[in-house]
Amino acid sequence: MSRTVQRLKETSLQTFKTLQSIAPMLFAVMGLVGIFETFVTPEMIHKIFNAHAIHDMLLATTAGAVSVGQPFLSYIIGGELLDEGISMYAVTAFILSFVTLGVIQIPLEFSIFGARFTIVRNLLSFLFAIVIAYMTTLSTSFLSGYFS
Amino acid sequence: MKEKEQMKNKTGYIMLLIVLGLYGILYFVHADKTVQALEATFGVFKTVAPILLVVFFLMAFLNTFIDEKSVAKHLGDDSGFKGWFIALFGGVLSHGPGYIWYPMLQELRKKGALDGLIVAFLYARSIKLPWLPLMISYFGLTFTVVLTFYVLVGAFVQGVFAGKIMNEAKKDR
Repeated sequence: MSRTVQRLKETSLQTFKTLQSIAPMLFAVMGLVGIFETFVTPEMIHKIFNAHAIHDMLLATTAGAVSVGQPFLSYIIGGELLDEGISMYAVTAFILSFVTLGVIQIPLEFSIFGARFTIVRNLLSFLFAIVIAYMTTLSTSFLSGYFS
Repeated sequence: MKEKEQMKNKTGYIMLLIVLGLYGILYFVHADKTVQALEATFGVFKTVAPILLVVFFLMAFLNTFIDEKSVAKHLGDDSGFKGWFIALFGGVLSHGPGYIWYPMLQELRKKGALDGLIVAFLYARSIKLPWLPLMISYFGLTFTVVLTFYVLVGAFVQGVFAGKIMNEAKKDR
């Protein structure tokens, strides 16, 4: 029992040191999130779309990757984009990349997981945002037609 | 290893200095907005702090009671279906921003968890259970169900691809 307590003490200290070593980067990321939330407004995101499906889908994925905030924000922005005639493909890609990609947190991901892991994961997530958006929109319209 | 740790610390401090510098510059351009940004940062910290505490305890628990052998068994080469199940559902159930989970995931990686499972975990996090009702109200039930299904499948496929790519790279070294 005492050995377990001793081990718990050691690992807690070790864990604390790990978190301490990433703390500056973590604070830096939080600071950037604050700047983005305040300075990058939904209106700015609206302005970059031009209702051309492929262009919008690529742009939406990129916009989602550089945006930060609670997931519900992406639904609100996505809903407004849909009302303005932006394709469902682009809106879905935006919602997906908003939560799966994070340009701001790349330095942290890089310092913890290493370069290869970070590059492979982010490139795959970018690609998958587009593929899943395409398949989701096609399937949804097919199913909606089938059930209506 | 120690050098790598020191390098990580150094990069973190440089990044923090850059961000502080950015706040300094922005304050002279838009003082009000910069104060708002600081408040937003504090808001993020308040959201993240309790989750960070949970991650801290999970990591300490993991390091005390779970050794390399059991990580290898449940999340390693021979973990099979169970490994994917843990990664996907762990991802769906995990709360807060993804970067909070990075240190714990790296600990698991060090103990032998597969890269592909870590990638799948991170992708499955895009299913946000508490926000699903809002998604349904914005985009409908069919869209939400279809997207959730494809995200789970996508997380699995992405994990498989990532695992293969990273294994190949390891072999080449």
